Amino acid sequence: MSQPFIDLQHISKSFDGTLVLDDLCLSVKENSFVTLLGPSGCGKTTTLRIIGGFETPDAGRVIFDGEDITRLPPNKRQLNTVFQKYALFPHMSIADNIAFGLRIRRKPKSYIDDKIRYALRLVNLEGFEHRTVDSLSGGQQQRIAIARAIVNEPRVLLLDEPLGALDLKLRQDMQYELIRLKNELGITFIYVTHDQEEALTMSDTIVVMNQGYIQQMGTPEQIYNEPENAFVADFIGESNILDGLMIRDELVEIAGARFACVDKGFGTNRPVDVVIRPEDIDLVKPEEGTLTGVVTHLIFKGVHYEMEVTTPDGFEWLVHSTDLSPVGERVGIRVDPFDIQIMNKPASEDEEAVGVNE
Amino acid sequence: MKRYRLKQFFQDFYLVLVILFLYAPIVTMIVLSFNDTKSRTLWGGFTLRWYADMLQDTAIMNALHNTLLIALLSALAATVIGTAAAIGINSMKKLPRSIVMGVNNIPMLNSDIVTGISLMLAFIAFGISLGFKTVLIAHITFNVPYVLLSVLPKLRQTSRYTYEAALDLGAGPLQAFFKVVFPDILPGVLSGFLMAFTMSLDDFIITHFTRGAGIDTLSTLIYSEVRRGINPSMYALSAIIFLTVLALLILTNFSPEEKKGKTAAGIEAAARKRRRFARIRGGILAAASFSIFAVVSLSTWNRYAASHSDELYVYNWGEYIDESVITQFEEETGIHVTYDLFETNEEMYPVIEAGAVRYDAVCPSDYMIQRMAENGLLAEINFDNLPNLKHIDPVYLEMSREFDPENRYSVPYTWGTVGILYNTKLIEEKNLPVPRRWSDLWNPAYAGEILMQDSVRDAFMVALKSLGYSMNTEDMRELTEARDLLIAQKPLVQAYVIDQVRDKMIGGEAALGVIYSGEMLYLQEEVASQNLDFTLEYVIPEEGTNLWIDSWVIPANARNKENAEKWIDFLCRPDIALKNFEYITYATPNRAAKALLDESLQNNKAIFPDMESLAQSEVYRYLGDETDAVYNSLWKEVKSR
Repeated sequence: MSQPFIDLQHISKSFDGTLVLDDLCLSVKENSFVTLLGPSGCGKTTTLRIIGGFETPDAGRVIFDGEDITRLPPNKRQLNTVFQKYALFPHMSIADNIAFGLRIRRKPKSYIDDKIRYALRLVNLEGFEHRTVDSLSGGQQQRIAIARAIVNEPRVLLLDEPLGALDLKLRQDMQYELIRLKNELGITFIYVTHDQEEALTMSDTIVVMNQGYIQQMGTPEQIYNEPENAFVADFIGESNILDGLMIRDELVEIAGARFACVDKGFGTNRPVDVVIRPEDIDLVKPEEGTLTGVVTHLIFKGVHYEMEVTTPDGFEWLVHSTDLSPVGERVGIRVDPFDIQIMNKPASEDEEAVGVNE
Repeated sequence: MKRYRLKQFFQDFYLVLVILFLYAPIVTMIVLSFNDTKSRTLWGGFTLRWYADMLQDTAIMNALHNTLLIALLSALAATVIGTAAAIGINSMKKLPRSIVMGVNNIPMLNSDIVTGISLMLAFIAFGISLGFKTVLIAHITFNVPYVLLSVLPKLRQTSRYTYEAALDLGAGPLQAFFKVVFPDILPGVLSGFLMAFTMSLDDFIITHFTRGAGIDTLSTLIYSEVRRGINPSMYALSAIIFLTVLALLILTNFSPEEKKGKTAAGIEAAARKRRRFARIRGGILAAASFSIFAVVSLSTWNRYAASHSDELYVYNWGEYIDESVITQFEEETGIHVTYDLFETNEEMYPVIEAGAVRYDAVCPSDYMIQRMAENGLLAEINFDNLPNLKHIDPVYLEMSREFDPENRYSVPYTWGTVGILYNTKLIEEKNLPVPRRWSDLWNPAYAGEILMQDSVRDAFMVALKSLGYSMNTEDMRELTEARDLLIAQKPLVQAYVIDQVRDKMIGGEAALGVIYSGEMLYLQEEVASQNLDFTLEYVIPEEGTNLWIDSWVIPANARNKENAEKWIDFLCRPDIALKNFEYITYATPNRAAKALLDESLQNNKAIFPDMESLAQSEVYRYLGDETDAVYNSLWKEVKSR
């Protein structure tokens, strides 16, 4: 593989004695859509601000296209940021906002005018040149913020929870817009969000972070289907995380019942965490199930029913299914071997945060 | 419905009452500024002459120039300093920020007089002589907190991300600040500037303590003028200041209502309207500051173009010179005169003693000259430089020996007596006897018609003279006797006054008043010019009176002694002495000038009494600090009884 386009090497950063990033390493390929995903306070925004140049790391280096830019001020970096609160300049018109970066670089007027028109077309806001910032809706302001960033032809666009303040419908529309933009511009996007659905929808690569550490990095499918630890599994989508005992390769015991699985190399008779997605559980007749339980809750969610099935050991299984089983019914639980994900149990809390599992 | 109207009526009525209460004084002043008489009670028709007078008065125009220059410079400096400080404070953490804001707020809450005195002390302690620059520094000092207070909230509203966004788009830190943050906080900066400008215009107390020679702002000028009496150009000036400040305040605070428009178009329209108003306001402000700046810089340029290295600092009583004399002196000698005023000898003394302002020529009264000489504050005058001294009648030099035994320190400027001024019409109407003697002031027939001087030495002079004692007595028995006499007189006295004696006599409020002879001619002319239906007559009481002399002296620390001698010599020139006599109407010791007067004036015994009739009279002597204290405590007993 060629050298990474952006390379964060052993970055540490603390604020007022609180460690926010601890020895973080991250490589980003050119033209990829990378999402930093995690709960608030996990260090994802700090990572983005370090790449943008708004924070200087206490230790470590930031390499951009082979060059060390750790100490370069933001205005000297070939990247642009779209801020969470849009940060449009309220005293300027839309056109002036978009032209800001170009005017700083003293581009000719005709070039600037062309760029403004191009950028407005790109974000579907043609004819908005002379509007004021406060006459625009949130979604429109967000698109102007993006337009303002991309007219400078950055090699990387940093987006800090850009859709956080928008309502659901708008957010979904904007997700498609961003994917379209990314494809049209052919540049690198580094995207920060705490919304796992956004991350899964748009990214080439997702970096799941927690407490200043990277928990897992991979394609959306890998992250969703093969979470490497309980944190990732829990954070990405809904899942059942159960205590299990690895009897031997490809056989795991859960709540006294033995399930066939596809995982190997965990040794024999070792306690493990077992992740099973709610939609991967089939409810069958009691005599056909590996385990039996009683339906204790039922909610209609539109696309599917959400049910809770309580097994004799007291565990409540979350189950998604298009078929309804009424409350109180006795049902059997069956899971296909490749839908069972086995993970090592973390030895300590620290290890849980770091996500050690090798 | 009816009840509702009644309620409405009372609401409106109450509002009118409140507004009346708040603004009646100012309206009164504005109305009086258009009054064609000097009286504060009589309406003599509409006139603009006080405004015209004001514009022609060089003292007022100089003060206006100083006021605007100081307000403009101090507001500009405070705006720069305050805005920079606000940016720093804004990026502080919470605790240091609240500490710094506390430190910022203390000077604002601190009383002006404390700020003023401490600034003055600091300037003197560090050897900075008081003058224009100290006033400027003082104004900047008290203006910074106001700027800070108006910029900081704006800064806190401004999103930190807009600054970062500008950096992100390639702007350097300074560019980002001026292109993005500054326009955002501009309304705060502007209102801070206006606030500072207004505060500076308004300030009296701090200016009073930190100003030096020749620096008067409008407020200090108005203060000294109003204390002296009744020149209605001061009302005109105050009216203009009030309207200016009002206009500034309206401009600062007024902005179109922010409508909560539901539609995008509504928001757009409201925003556009707001911006348009902001532009108009900005335009007016820019035009106003530009014109102020133009006026100020033009007059500054004029002033400096005319300035010379030759300087003279003069410290004189208010209204105690014909101002054209100063100009004439400057033109003839090429010496630039800085001219300052004082109200009382007691106010002048510490200024000379402290030496914060070094005056070259001062005009104190007799007993104060003695005190200054005894305390080594005076320089001997080189009389070889005073060829015009020959015009001064030697009689007055002889008189001066009472306080300047060897005629070494002083040159007489004006002189006069203290006597009784009476209203002929009131005396006649009420069938009262015409006063002849001080002891007449104890005649119960005059009950409620007497105005006494509200000053220790003058009051005791009246009592001591009526008892046949010396007015410079140090005899405790005589003094207690005089005290008892003054206490006995109290029920008859309408009021103890200083300057108000003029207004009250012109207004016909009292039948007789103890008064300095110099005031007499001025009052008589006023009465004549206003066509009042009475006359005021002056009598020098038979027991003898205070014969006072105001003379020019040169302080020991004067820097331009030779110029001061040129100045004193100039004032002794007959034509100049005549001009001054015609302006101040106090008797002149200059015999050549007297010879130029009208026959009737020369023979006016009230102005120029025969020396024989003054045989019983004396000149005040400085009695020493201890005796001074005795007089004061006895006077206090009189006043508090």
